[in-house]
Amino acid sequence: MSADDSSLARCPNCGENAAPRARFCENCGTPLGSAEGTAPSEVTLEPAPTVVDPDPATGDSSARRCGACGGTIAPDGYCADCGTPGQSERDHFEERPADWVAGVCDRGVRHARNEDAMALAAGGTFAALVVCDGVSSAPDSDIASLAASRAARDVLVAYGPEGSSSVEGATSRRVAGWTYAMVAASRAASQAVRGAAEQLAATKGKDVTDDPPSCTFVAAVVDQGLVVAGWLGDSRVYWLPDSGQAEQLSVDDSWAQEMIAAGVPRAQAETSPQAHAITRWLGPDAPDTDARCAATVPSGPGWLLVCSDGLWNYCSDAHEMNDLVRRFAGSGDPHTTAAALVRWANAQGGRDNITAALARVSPTVTEQR
Amino acid sequence: MAEFSAEVFQNEFLSDGATDVHAVVAVTCTGAGTTQRAVAGADAGADGVAEIVAVDTSGSMQGRNMEAAKHAAAVAVDQIPDGTLFAIIGGSHVASRIFPYPNARVPMVAMEPGARSEAKRAISTMAAAGGTAISSWLRLADDLFAAVPVAQKHLILLTDGKNESEPSAHLNQMIAEVTGHFQCDARGVGDRWVVDELRKISTALLGTVDLIARPEDIAEDFAALVRKSMARGVASVDLRVWAPQGSQVLFVRQVAPEVDDLTGRRTEVNALTSAYPTGAWADETREYHVAVRVPSKPVGSEQLAARVQVAVGADVTASGLVKAKWSDDSTLTARISPEVAHYTGQAELASAIQEGLAAKAAGDEATATVKLGRAVQLAAETGNDDATSRLRKIVEVENVEEGTVRLKRNTAKLDEMALDTASTKTTRVRRA
Repeated sequence: MSADDSSLARCPNCGENAAPRARFCENCGTPLGSAEGTAPSEVTLEPAPTVVDPDPATGDSSARRCGACGGTIAPDGYCADCGTPGQSERDHFEERPADWVAGVCDRGVRHARNEDAMALAAGGTFAALVVCDGVSSAPDSDIASLAASRAARDVLVAYGPEGSSSVEGATSRRVAGWTYAMVAASRAASQAVRGAAEQLAATKGKDVTDDPPSCTFVAAVVDQGLVVAGWLGDSRVYWLPDSGQAEQLSVDDSWAQEMIAAGVPRAQAETSPQAHAITRWLGPDAPDTDARCAATVPSGPGWLLVCSDGLWNYCSDAHEMNDLVRRFAGSGDPHTTAAALVRWANAQGGRDNITAALARVSPTVTEQR
Repeated sequence: MAEFSAEVFQNEFLSDGATDVHAVVAVTCTGAGTTQRAVAGADAGADGVAEIVAVDTSGSMQGRNMEAAKHAAAVAVDQIPDGTLFAIIGGSHVASRIFPYPNARVPMVAMEPGARSEAKRAISTMAAAGGTAISSWLRLADDLFAAVPVAQKHLILLTDGKNESEPSAHLNQMIAEVTGHFQCDARGVGDRWVVDELRKISTALLGTVDLIARPEDIAEDFAALVRKSMARGVASVDLRVWAPQGSQVLFVRQVAPEVDDLTGRRTEVNALTSAYPTGAWADETREYHVAVRVPSKPVGSEQLAARVQVAVGADVTASGLVKAKWSDDSTLTARISPEVAHYTGQAELASAIQEGLAAKAAGDEATATVKLGRAVQLAAETGNDDATSRLRKIVEVENVEEGTVRLKRNTAKLDEMALDTASTKTTRVRRA
C-alpha cells in the first residue's frame, strides 16, 4: 500500500479530498505541499523516551559508560579500561521508551560526526520509531536530522492512541489513517529541516541555498497489531517475524533501487559507486517531501527494525538481516539487541553512522485488535 | 608545595594496520624547594633528609687520593645543612662507621655545629688499608638508613678501584637487596675503577655515575652532590603508565637528562597500570620515551594508548595522554615526532658507545670500529657536541655522515672512561 492510495488527505481550505502527494487542491488550488493545516496543530502527549546515557552537560560523567567495552569513561574523556574515547551525547545516544522498544544511534568509526538521528516513542500497544540519516555532503546535517526525527515522532504520537488526532477504527481504516499520518510526519520533518537551515543561516550567516542541510526519513508505527512504514530515501524498515518470511517493508529511493528495478542484480547495484545516491530526501532543495508508505498486519510475533544504511550496508538482504538480528536477540530485549547490532556494524568497519531501532512486536500486542 | 606537569610529544597518527605508539613525555617539577623540611635538631621528621658519605679507605687510596677524599668528605660535611641526619662510612673489604663514632648509640645524628667539627675530626683519622668489597659499604649504609624515619635517603659513594675482594655476584645481590631503600650517586677517582660496576650501583639506586679525573676535584663534586640532594624537595616520585586492555608496554625509558631504561623496574599498581620509581625530585624537567603496542583499529578510529602519570605517594599529580589515531592520509602518518626521533637517536648513541668500548676492551676491533663509527654519526645527527668531542679522543673520524672511523692507538684510559661514564648523558631536543 502506498500514500497514493489514500483518499483521506483533505484541503485545509475547502475540505476537498486530495491525495497526499498532490501539490495543490484540485477544487480551490490551495497549495498542499507546505500546508501546515494537514498536520495536527497541537501535540498533547509529550513522549518521554528514556535516554540511557546520562547527559554529559549535567556533569554526571562518573556514570558515563564506554561504548566499546562497557567500562567507565575517566574524567580525561577516555575509557578507563580500553582507552576508547568517550562519546558526546550527539555522537552516541540510546532511547528506550518502553521495555519492548529501544534504539541506538552511533557515530560509527570513520565519520567525524553523527549525522544519523533517531526519535522513539511508545505507550501501551503503540510505538513510533523515526530514523533520519543526514546527508554528509551538507554541513550541519546532524542538526537538521535530529530536528526532523523529533518533529516526525511528535506528529506520529499525536495520531497515536493518547494523541489529539487518534487514528481509530478497523484495520483497513487505520491503514489509511496512518498513511495520512505518515505523510503529515514527513512534511513536519521537512519543515523542521527548513527551520534548522534557516536558523543556522541566521546565526552563522551561511548561505544555505548553496549546500542546504538535508536528510533521509524513515518511520514505523506499531498500532494494535498493525505495522505501517513510511520513508524518503534509503533508510529502511524491516519486518522480521519469528515464523514466516522476513521482508523489507520500505523500498529505497535510491539509484541502486532503480537499477534493481531495472533488472541489475541486487549485490551489483548496491556495491556500485553511485549506489548511495538517493533520489528522494528531506531538505530545502527536496523536490517533494511526502513519505511513501507500506503497511503489514503481522500474523505472529517478530522484530520490527528501523535502521540507517550504516547498518544495512553490511547486511542488506532481509533474510540475512533476520539471521543477524536473531543472533543478538537471545535476551529478547530490544535495547541490548540494538546495541549489539551497532557494535557489530562498528566491528565491520563502521564506515557510516549507524542507527538501529527495534520494537519487539509480541503476540499480546498483536492480539489486541 | 611542589607541582608537577606533564607534556606529551608525539605523532598520534598511525597508518592502517600499525600497532606501535611512541611518545616523549616531559615531566617538570616546580616549587620543590619550597617544601617545608623539619630542621629542628634531632627530631627530623618524615619530611627530613638523611645523607651518608661512603669513602673508599682501601690500600690503593694511599697518598693523594686518600688526602683528597678526606678533604672532600669534610667539604661535604660543611655543605650538609643543620638538622639533616648524616653519617660517614669508611669502606675497604669491610665497612666501618667513622661518624657517629662506632661506640655511639645512635645510627646517625642531626647536623649541628658541634657534630660538624667532631665529624671532621673523625674524617681526618681515616687511613688507607685493606681491600675493596663495596657490598659491605652498601650493607652498612642500608642498616644506618633503616634506623632513621625519614623519607629521603641519599648516599654518596667514592672509590678508586675495582671491587676485587668479593665475587661480582655478591655485589649484584646486595644491590638488589637495597634497591628502593635509598638513592646513590657513585663516583670513581682515577683510572683504575670499573665504570660498569659503579654504573650498576647508580642505575639501580636511581643516581648518577661519574668520573673524577683529578683528586683535587673531588671536593667540588661532593659539594655539588650534597647541594643537589638537598634541593630535592619531593622525596619519592613514581612514573605511572596506564595502557589499555590487550596492549603491551614495550618500554619506558628516561631519555633526558640521561638515558635510563626503567622498563625492568616495573611494579604493578593494577592490572592496567605500572609504576616505575624515579626517586627524589628537585625543580627540574625529565623526559621519558614511552612505547606501547596496541591492537590495530580500523582507519578513522581513535584510541588512548597510554596515560603517563606522575604519582607522589598514592596521589597522581600530573597526567599526559598518549593517543593513537588511525588514518589513511600518509602525509599525517609518515611524520615522526622530532622529540621521539631525537631521543631514539640519543638512546642508540648511548648503547653504541658502551658496546663499542666493550668490544674495544675485548680486543674486537672490527666491532668497536663499527659501533663507535655509528656513535660518531648519531652524535652529529642529534647535535650532541659533548659526545662528539669525547669520541674524537678515541677515534679518528674519516666521514661523519657515513660514520666511518679508525680507532686511535695509545689512547688514554681516562678518555675512554670519560666517554663511557658520559655516554648516557643526552642533549635536549631543540624546540622551536
